[in-house]
Amino acid sequence: MNATRGRVAMTLVAVLLGFLVVLQIRNQDPGAQLSNASTEELTVIVANLSDRNDQLRTEVATLEREVSDLDAAKARGGSSLDELTRDLAKLRDWSGLDPVAGPGIQVTVAGAIDGDGVMALVNELRDAGAEALSADGIRLVAASVVAGPASGLSVEDHLLPSPFVLEAIGSSDTLTGALKRQGGIVAQLAVTYPEATITVTPVDRLLLAATGRDLQPAHGTPRL
Amino acid sequence: MTSLPARIRALPSWQVTLGVALLALGFLIAAQLRAEGPRVRYTTQERSPLVETALALTSDQDALKARILELNDEIASLQAEGAGSAQQVKSLNDALEAARVAAGLVALSGPGLVIQLTDASGPAPSAANASDYAVTGHDLRVVVEELWLAGAEAIAINGERITPTTAIVDIGGPILVNSAYLAPPFQVSAIGPTDLFDRLSASVGFADFLQARAETFGIGVSAAEPDSVTVPAYAGSVTLRYSKPVPSPSATPGVSP
Repeated sequence: MNATRGRVAMTLVAVLLGFLVVLQIRNQDPGAQLSNASTEELTVIVANLSDRNDQLRTEVATLEREVSDLDAAKARGGSSLDELTRDLAKLRDWSGLDPVAGPGIQVTVAGAIDGDGVMALVNELRDAGAEALSADGIRLVAASVVAGPASGLSVEDHLLPSPFVLEAIGSSDTLTGALKRQGGIVAQLAVTYPEATITVTPVDRLLLAATGRDLQPAHGTPRL
Repeated sequence: MTSLPARIRALPSWQVTLGVALLALGFLIAAQLRAEGPRVRYTTQERSPLVETALALTSDQDALKARILELNDEIASLQAEGAGSAQQVKSLNDALEAARVAAGLVALSGPGLVIQLTDASGPAPSAANASDYAVTGHDLRVVVEELWLAGAEAIAINGERITPTTAIVDIGGPILVNSAYLAPPFQVSAIGPTDLFDRLSASVGFADFLQARAETFGIGVSAAEPDSVTVPAYAGSVTLRYSKPVPSPSATPGVSP
């Protein structure tokens, strides 16, 4: 009977073990995380998710149209040079390889503020939907970081003067609203950097230069 | 006194197996308790309708992102096969492939680093500054920026690729990166030169970060240097609504049929 008792005990342990493994995995899943959020936080999360999913849905529709255009071109036996050229321009504009123009805002940054403060501003502009950004005329790509102490800011090996201007292409109303709302980033920075002044001006047409960076990987290999 | 191995040999085999299983159990319980760090600070009740909605939206989002990756692949292969003989198409396709890589629409692997950030273990000393003991959006932003400055060429956080339009935002709980809410542990994967870790370690900014967050508040920061780091492709919108291309003499000339 010793063997049976042993089997029962092991089964019990295995069940418990399985349960705990699942619990452990669930803990790393946003679902478990969400159960701990307050109602206010959840409301913001739901609003954000639904908004972002709409953007993703629009992107899916755009890409599906692109596929059917390419299919149509293929069926005609014609080349899809126009589609290819358009797609190339879109990707180069988006990644910062080509100059772009559009409406947006100029953010004049004057006084004592360090790189972390400027990046907080850049992060907020990205969150508000800025499509392209520059600092003192230097295009900001993913890897561009404004760094340094208040008296010696630089980006991409370029020293930033004081004051300098951040430019962001996007909806000027949305961008301005996001920066200047009550308790927003401009208000927060005014507390952290009392010596700094941040001025936001809507502009009808901005022209942002291409990045000087080589965006082809030197160490990584594409996984196709 | 019999030696330990001899005593183990003398035990029935099921007891040994049970012992090993119990050891694993103990380990898991400990891991479980650790995982319930300072972030569990609201009473956990039944899942509210809001949580259900958020979870449904998250799974919608996963499906949408999978669809975007699938469509991007489909477009790339349709473009590659379209009228392949013409030299112009070939050079356009090469340019497109390079642009996709530049835009982060292609996964990369290579040498690099994985930095893991976890909430401080154990309850926060007081509820007032509980958030100081949890990983914040600002923490992630600093680590990403320090990695870029150290020479990283591609970065992702828990699988979300960092692109020119990526914002890292926190609202107190989970952290929003691109379109996704991410939960700890946060793994920041970066591809870069083989001395990326040395460069990061030499950075004053990173040392300040460790001092301010790991030493003062117990935020867990660990680094691993696997043989190969993979940074996945960006699955999100690359559509520009406000930006228009600027015609320039060097731009690819328009092609008439």
